[in-house]
Amino acid sequence: MHNRLKTKFLGVEVKSPLVLPAGVMGMSFSGMHISKINGAGIVTSKSLTLQPRKGHKGPVVAEFEGGILNCMGLCNPGISDGLVEVDQFKERSRTPVIVSVFATNTADFLKLTTEVNKSKGDFLELNLSCPNVFDEFGIPLAASKEEVFKIVKAVKDISKLPVIAKLSPNVYNIVEIALAAQKAGADALCLINTVGPGMAIDAKIVKPVLFNKFGGLSGPCIKPIALKLIYQTYSAVEIPILGMGGVTCGIDAVEMLMAGATIIGVGTAVYYRGIEVFDKINHEIIQFMDENGYESIDNIPRLEKSDV
Amino acid sequence: MNKRATIKISNIIKEAKDIKTFVFKHNLGAKPGQFIMLTDFEGGEKPFSLADCDTNTFTVTVKRIGEFTSRLFQKEIGDFLSVRGPFGSSFFISKGSVLLVGGGYGTPPLYFLAKELLKNGASVTVVNGAKSKDDLVFCDRFRELGVHYSNITQLGCLGREGTSVDLAQSALAKTKFDYVYAAGPEMMLKALQPILKEHEYEFLFERYMKCAIGICGNCTIDPLGIRLCVEGPVLPKKLVEQLTEFGKYHRDATGKRIEY
Repeated sequence: MHNRLKTKFLGVEVKSPLVLPAGVMGMSFSGMHISKINGAGIVTSKSLTLQPRKGHKGPVVAEFEGGILNCMGLCNPGISDGLVEVDQFKERSRTPVIVSVFATNTADFLKLTTEVNKSKGDFLELNLSCPNVFDEFGIPLAASKEEVFKIVKAVKDISKLPVIAKLSPNVYNIVEIALAAQKAGADALCLINTVGPGMAIDAKIVKPVLFNKFGGLSGPCIKPIALKLIYQTYSAVEIPILGMGGVTCGIDAVEMLMAGATIIGVGTAVYYRGIEVFDKINHEIIQFMDENGYESIDNIPRLEKSDV
Repeated sequence: MNKRATIKISNIIKEAKDIKTFVFKHNLGAKPGQFIMLTDFEGGEKPFSLADCDTNTFTVTVKRIGEFTSRLFQKEIGDFLSVRGPFGSSFFISKGSVLLVGGGYGTPPLYFLAKELLKNGASVTVVNGAKSKDDLVFCDRFRELGVHYSNITQLGCLGREGTSVDLAQSALAKTKFDYVYAAGPEMMLKALQPILKEHEYEFLFERYMKCAIGICGNCTIDPLGIRLCVEGPVLPKKLVEQLTEFGKYHRDATGKRIEY
């Protein structure tokens, strides 16, 4: 049955189009392992930085009706320890791993790439779009097509792994940024990162709920934004898209494919439906395929591209 | 879905030198072994096991360790704190003869457990250990419950020198227990494990926690990847036996492995 979900991403065969995205469960080899055994076809490490980061002080999550606000603040054990976790995962599994890295300038991205080249990772994701470190680093790189072009190009020159650029939804014109990444040689795009950021207030204590004050939105409320941005980008680029944003059930995943994604990230839904969410969605996609007469995942049609 | 509640501290009990119990009037609906995330929105949100919980009250017992808990210690009755939870797995409420092994300020959740076990008709024995008598908590509360209770300190403040593992060993030699529960420092649990080969047990674990909703991955335990905030913090014997990091390392806020 699972053969019907088999697809290819950048030439690599995956048993399911569902991806554990950066920032969710990817802190340790065992976190990636439990996601894989619960049905993820690809897993992503935490976004790794040159030095370890504690991230923001708590509260780092706030729930609201439509989803979650989070401001983890790029906590990670640093590139060397992070890659030990990736390699340990790969020693036990053939499941592809996306190594996600974060930096604020080309030189640091190049240092990170050099380290990732030595790892057992399968893909390199450049996180150009963390929305939760404004205070520290200013506007995300993904807001500037010039910056995106410069960094992707430099990384592509030395990366041994295919390069995925992770873009921000919080920009005026995502198409020109996606095109800049493509022109620079990006092998694929990942979108969307969290939306906003937004804010929650505790009315009794009269303070922001998140200690960082602001946090990126994820969960069901962002799906319409994700679909729109993925569709717009898909319409304009030739490279594959790892689409994500609010995917909670099988139909959501199918909609992402129709909008133009090749593979689909499932993150916040781990909270709503448990770590088993990947297998649940895999089954729901198959159910959709049965009901609508699609033999394989690759038969699911995409929307017609349009000039939007 | 929003499980946050911002509520007033209704009482504060000084337990020992650096240990206080905070009482809240609120229907939390928690089970023994579960925990809450507590914050004052001044920087930091930390997990605390419930020391007690019924339909209108819950309590947590806090040891002053760092910046966050020092701030908690300055709070007064009537001050607001914000609570998320309850989270995580809970202890199996057994019948028959049971042994509860507590260490230091890890002991309080066993009080909540002891109450529920007694309600279920179990015969409860509690052994409680700490470094010195300044760290030993809940002695009177356990005695008032009417369980078989004994305690010990490593410094011998109360006569005998030893640990709760020593007390557990003597108790296990004398009585046939149907189930064993333990909460305390990880090295105490590690020392206890080999003497429980013949017994069914559950341990309450502690790990650095951030989101408490099973997403961030900071509290996963190797090699299974189970999340202590969802599948834990209470883990049964069959899972404990598979853990390779148990008693060896834990992870800090960055996710880096820190050896014990």
